[in-house]
Amino acid sequence: MEDKLPEGGLRIKIVGVGGAGTNAVDRIKLENLEQVHLTAVDTDSQVLASSPVDETFLLGRTVTLGKSTGGSSDKGRLAAEADADELRRLLREIDLVFLLAGLGGGTGSGAAPAIAQMAVEEGAVVIAFCALPFQREGATRAARAKSSLEEMERKCHAVITLPNDLVFGQVDASATLMEAFAKADKWIKLGVHSIWSMLFNTGLINVDFSTLRSALSEPGGRTLFGVGYGKGEALVEQALRDLDNCPLLHLAENGFVKDTDQLIVNLTGGPDLTMAMVNEVMDAVSEKFGCRNSLVMGAAIDGSFYNQLRIIVFGTLRKTPLPKKGYAPVPSASIPPNLPPPGTKPATGPGLETRQAPSPPPPPGKRNQREFAFPRQEDNRGVFEKTQRNIYEGADLDIPTYVRRNIRLNRG
Amino acid sequence: MSRSTIVGAVEIGTSKVVVLVAEMSGGRSMNIIGRGQSTNLGMKKGEIVNLRSVSDCTHAAILAAERSSGTKIEHVYLSFSGSHLWGFRHAGTTSISSNRGLVRSVDIERAVENAKSRALEPGEVYIHHIRNGFLLDGKPVEDPLSRQGSHLEVLYWHVVADEQKVKDHITVINGFGLDVNDMVVSSLASGSFLATEEEKRQGALVVDIGKGTTDYVLYRGRRAVQTGVIPVGGEHVTNDLGLGLRVKTKLAEGLKRRAAKALVQKEDRTKKAALLGDLSIGDSFHSQLTINKITHARLEELFIILKNQLGSALSRTSLPGGVILTGGVSKTPLIADLAEVTLDVPVSLGQSPDWVRHAELREPEYATVLGLLLNALHDQQSEEKEPQVKAQGHWLRKVAGLFG
Repeated sequence: MEDKLPEGGLRIKIVGVGGAGTNAVDRIKLENLEQVHLTAVDTDSQVLASSPVDETFLLGRTVTLGKSTGGSSDKGRLAAEADADELRRLLREIDLVFLLAGLGGGTGSGAAPAIAQMAVEEGAVVIAFCALPFQREGATRAARAKSSLEEMERKCHAVITLPNDLVFGQVDASATLMEAFAKADKWIKLGVHSIWSMLFNTGLINVDFSTLRSALSEPGGRTLFGVGYGKGEALVEQALRDLDNCPLLHLAENGFVKDTDQLIVNLTGGPDLTMAMVNEVMDAVSEKFGCRNSLVMGAAIDGSFYNQLRIIVFGTLRKTPLPKKGYAPVPSASIPPNLPPPGTKPATGPGLETRQAPSPPPPPGKRNQREFAFPRQEDNRGVFEKTQRNIYEGADLDIPTYVRRNIRLNRG
Repeated sequence: MSRSTIVGAVEIGTSKVVVLVAEMSGGRSMNIIGRGQSTNLGMKKGEIVNLRSVSDCTHAAILAAERSSGTKIEHVYLSFSGSHLWGFRHAGTTSISSNRGLVRSVDIERAVENAKSRALEPGEVYIHHIRNGFLLDGKPVEDPLSRQGSHLEVLYWHVVADEQKVKDHITVINGFGLDVNDMVVSSLASGSFLATEEEKRQGALVVDIGKGTTDYVLYRGRRAVQTGVIPVGGEHVTNDLGLGLRVKTKLAEGLKRRAAKALVQKEDRTKKAALLGDLSIGDSFHSQLTINKITHARLEELFIILKNQLGSALSRTSLPGGVILTGGVSKTPLIADLAEVTLDVPVSLGQSPDWVRHAELREPEYATVLGLLLNALHDQQSEEKEPQVKAQGHWLRKVAGLFG
């Protein structure tokens, strides 16, 4: 099946594991995403038979005899291990694997971590979307989901969780159970779709697979992911509010606030997207999530997005910083660090201060090459070259605004 | 009938030095009788970088003004700006000492002394103490004299400047053989001139975007409650355009005046603007979109800084009079629209009062110097009435004493 994948391009596979995962994959099947391959993996032959996905794989034929695991995660794991060779073949030469699973059941909880492990070993970046069971489904399921989630977090590059309770909270009382589950699948689909569009829609400030890969350079750690969408007059506020309400983010529970390690913020807007809007979003987001290490911003313009804005936030959180994590911010997409330069006195009274002109240049060779034609921002003050620096909130106001804002100019 | 005095208002701006000469009779009326100006080559961002050059330019302008008026200037009112200026709000408090609890003038004096007594860093000097009203037992009162209360508070907005920079300005005028009667920060000069009494009462913000600095003053309840300087102005737009389009500063300045707009519009995509615009050989064309993008980015940032500095004072409810734009940069097309979008308050361009008839003097560049003259007129008026009581001029005598 792999030979169908385009040569050289980015190879993405979406693997649904277990009943819930297969349902989510089925839903994604309805949206034709380019360069994406869908696979459904389950222990239940009935579920697979009704799936519209082309590539299905019946897991653990020798363990469960084509029937489900009956809620035993051990059986699920055994099934995956029994078919390891076959699974590895499915995951070979894939750059990015989206693993969709509902945790709490047998196949999802048991097989998904094993499959994740195999995918990582095959060299793929693994992003897992895990639906967590309703509280009503009982304590055993919750405990199983929890231990499975911990295992997933150790093995995958990123794990995005979707507590079904939160989704249930969003549908009204009259909604049927079908609708509630459909809603959960929809959120997973939205998550996959937004990452996909981030990678494939070339932005003005592009966030591509390499950016993603370097941000998720090592498995482990917790993930922060959210999507917000705004439309109409107050689109920025609306999008930010929507982001807050995104069940994939579920902020309150995670206590992620101000503690992200690496953050990718991707904006998709219409041709009418203004710099002010971008600034507003970036300010709000970086304030909300904080970012110790790096913040990568992406922006894409979609012709059909007039008067609309979508924000995608993707971050990682590591409780214990790994010592050898050598992530360098991607030069073309990163925002210049906004730290006040050393030597400025804290803002008193006027809020604006000046600093003596010569600032120590960064040690040669230590600085990353910038994409800009100007070697250093210090050289770019024009007529203000010999005057005092004009520092406001860490930026030198004498440097052209368009340089500091990375606005691309079309000269000529 | 008192004799008339000849007053010179001198604005040493980053772009040019402007001197207006007016004849004032008894502080009741004034006639503008002379004008002189020269291009200032010695300043950047509102501050003197070459004292000699500023001195020469200023003297040339004063000389031209004296010549055109045919008289000698007797009193000089000077406006100035620069990022060294800053302000803070500080109230003076006192307890009412009389046993019947009635406020006496000693109490007021004590509160005022208390307000002005805050020590400054060495090398700093007070320029203005602007009284923002009294609070008697926490309630605002217009005039607390003879009212009953136990605790009097007097609110002040203080404007502070760098002593050395003030000295430099005074030295320039002294070099011409004239004394400085009073110094007024530019924002207060143009603000008092442009905002109507009604706007000052309702609450209004006057923003003077000059070549080197942006000066603003916030009015509320007829009083200037906050002033400030942002060291960004038209020169930054020119510099940005020069660097962005890779043309010389002088040509960028011309291009800015002819073509730059504060907002990016749809039709800019296809339009081109000529660098020289005189149909000469060797003229080059630049994308209108690029020009407007650069201008928009700079001016929008300026308004964002302004918004940050004023905080909650800048909202529709607290600023019914809106924002009044003036200064050379306010002539940029669409700047009021940009300001309105960015600041989210109604924005208008400053209009000179009707008594200014001369078409050229109605241009925004003259707002500060006309405001200075108006200030001088009020000054003369109060001197006429009660020669002793003058809150503002006082500090200068102190400063003058320091310099000998």
